[in-house]
Amino acid sequence: MSQTVDEAPGAERAALRAGGRRKPSSRRRKEAFYFWLFISPWLIGFVGFLLGPMIASVYISFTEWDSFTPPQWVGLDNYAKALTEDPVFWKALGNTFYYALISVPLGLVIGVWLANLLNKRVRGRKLFRTFIYLPTLVPLVATAMVFKMVLAPSGPLNDLLGWFGVDGPAWLLDPTWVKPALIVLSAWGAGGATVLLLSAMNGIPRELYEAAEIDGAGSWRQFWSVTFPQITPVIFFNLIMGLIGSFQIFSQVYILTAGGPDNASQMIVPLLFREAFSFYHFGYASAVAWLLFLVILALTLVAFRWSRSWVFYEQEVR
Amino acid sequence: MENTIRRRTLVQAAATAGVAAPLLAACGSGDDGNGPLKMVVWGGDLDKETYQARIDLFEAENPDITIELQLIPSDQYEQKVQTMIAGGDGPDIMQVAEGVNTYSSKSQILPLDDYAKDAGLDLEQRFGPVGSLYTFEDKVYAIPDRSGAMIVYYNKDLFDAAGVAYPTAEWTQEDAQAAMEKLTVAGTQWGYGGAGWWPQWWSFAYQNGGQIIDDGGQPTINSPEVVTALQWANDLAHEYHYVPTAAEYADMGPDMGGDPAFAAGTVAMNTTGFWAIGGLLEAGINWDIAPLWRGAQQAVSAFGSGLAISRDAKDPKKAFKAIEFLTGADAQEVIIDKAQDVPANLEVQQSDAFLAPSWATKPINMAAFGESADFIFRAPFIPQWNELQAALNDNLGTFWNEGGDAQTELDKIQTQLESIITD
Repeated sequence: MSQTVDEAPGAERAALRAGGRRKPSSRRRKEAFYFWLFISPWLIGFVGFLLGPMIASVYISFTEWDSFTPPQWVGLDNYAKALTEDPVFWKALGNTFYYALISVPLGLVIGVWLANLLNKRVRGRKLFRTFIYLPTLVPLVATAMVFKMVLAPSGPLNDLLGWFGVDGPAWLLDPTWVKPALIVLSAWGAGGATVLLLSAMNGIPRELYEAAEIDGAGSWRQFWSVTFPQITPVIFFNLIMGLIGSFQIFSQVYILTAGGPDNASQMIVPLLFREAFSFYHFGYASAVAWLLFLVILALTLVAFRWSRSWVFYEQEVR
Repeated sequence: MENTIRRRTLVQAAATAGVAAPLLAACGSGDDGNGPLKMVVWGGDLDKETYQARIDLFEAENPDITIELQLIPSDQYEQKVQTMIAGGDGPDIMQVAEGVNTYSSKSQILPLDDYAKDAGLDLEQRFGPVGSLYTFEDKVYAIPDRSGAMIVYYNKDLFDAAGVAYPTAEWTQEDAQAAMEKLTVAGTQWGYGGAGWWPQWWSFAYQNGGQIIDDGGQPTINSPEVVTALQWANDLAHEYHYVPTAAEYADMGPDMGGDPAFAAGTVAMNTTGFWAIGGLLEAGINWDIAPLWRGAQQAVSAFGSGLAISRDAKDPKKAFKAIEFLTGADAQEVIIDKAQDVPANLEVQQSDAFLAPSWATKPINMAAFGESADFIFRAPFIPQWNELQAALNDNLGTFWNEGGDAQTELDKIQTQLESIITD
């Protein structure tokens, strides 16, 4: 990559102008006009539908508001209630951590494993790739219905476990096993990560493998010393997106368990949805939303800091 | 300062002009009204068709008023209506049910007593005890529209095969249990579909003389009467196995429960509402309906909904006129003609149109609804209804799935309800 391509097309002219200090040309004004014109759909959407509501929700989180009558200012009460009084908040937060911290690494391991298999020159490779991506395309509601059957106490999954002499639990009906059941469902969608990882693997230069082979590296060693470092940026990307996504898990819970039994599968977003749209506690729900934001922010920062020790960017070496 | 005011007035004027123009255009035909009344209801195609047919009748008699019907899928109804009202654009007429007092306690719907008095409408006479169902702090906030008691569906063939007499309103809980025992064939057939839903086990609690919330508004859900009822409902599944357990239902298919299992002939008795009739007419089993059995006293829950007027209604008088017509005999008959539900109007409930409906391909004991109407208990529609339901779900999940001690769970729920209600 050469230097100039990295920069915006207008950059060179801007530098010229800074030296010459001529009056703004009509072309520049026209360009600026078109810039604002073309960016405006996004900008209006962002300010009106994202930034505005976000700022409003900060205010709402300091009030008690049922959406009908005017909000009452309560200061930090909602935050205090979530952190000190509401046992369901802590339970839901714990459940969400449990789910995220297992489902995300598991999804990555499965994704890398599948991508590595699909990267081999086997017959019907394209077909397998399609099959593995297919679950990601099935609407979640349909998947959830299928999983209700798969996870039934005498369903196919427990039949399978039975062949190995394992007496399967009642999954969705059992407070201990309902979260693992949701994790199993999340692993079903690992194909989405596989596609990204696979394309990263395809981009690794052949000569690296040739060199490794000449040096006597076996396939295991080749994977750990060549493939893995080369795909760490994509793994990292999937890690961050997976963390954010899994902390915001909603539909699976909403459709499969509604948070039950006894809140054993209650997660933060279904909880705040319930508080806002079923109980009419918008202030409290907004406070929970911001607490979740802080949790995700903190975890993402930790992940970024940690990534320095294992994510390998080729450009930085050159 | 002066500047801002002038600016705001300008904006208002412009906005008013903008809004008024299409309205004026709409009124060009000469009437003095201000647009159609907006009415929101929940449900599916059949509901839409039925409400529309009733509205057509009203419009035919009142050419100066038009009603614009808007149907919202049931699972989004509360949120949509909430958003409409919060945005200052509430409907004129809205369907309400258990959640009615979420709105009435916050003055989002209008008290209707004065309108009823002006119209000479006697709710007690038209609807019986149900007439005061949607009352909050001694004011009526909705007029009953659909109201049918929960009834017992029973599979005649299974009863005959087991040599058990058909259920009646005179059955006691013990009689019901004895019948369930005889109707159960271990592993393949169950006597009863279960009572895990609030209308079911609450009926038993009120039969025992208990109350979920007492007349003073305080929770009494851990009283001995309620505990006994809940324990019985649960023991039927986990102690006696007359009812499929949650695990057994899950093995039958996704979203399996009493209604589909009864239609499949797997359970011999099921307690649910009117809506099961339509599907059962096409099912391959021989069935009929009866009023619910009794405990120390008779009590049964009812399913229904009423019509309310939101605070945003442009002309509440007109809206009430429409509601009065829609709950009158002519319009209510449509509800039964279309096999949608049980009309709340007693006159229609006792009419031949209801007792021998034209769509019934077999004789059905429709009088069961009228018989039950006398002992419907008034469920506590507290403003925190959704929180009450969540408190039940959050604590009774494992209890229903695996069995357990009703007293322990209800003590926890009692504490939770106390804090929900005082909040």
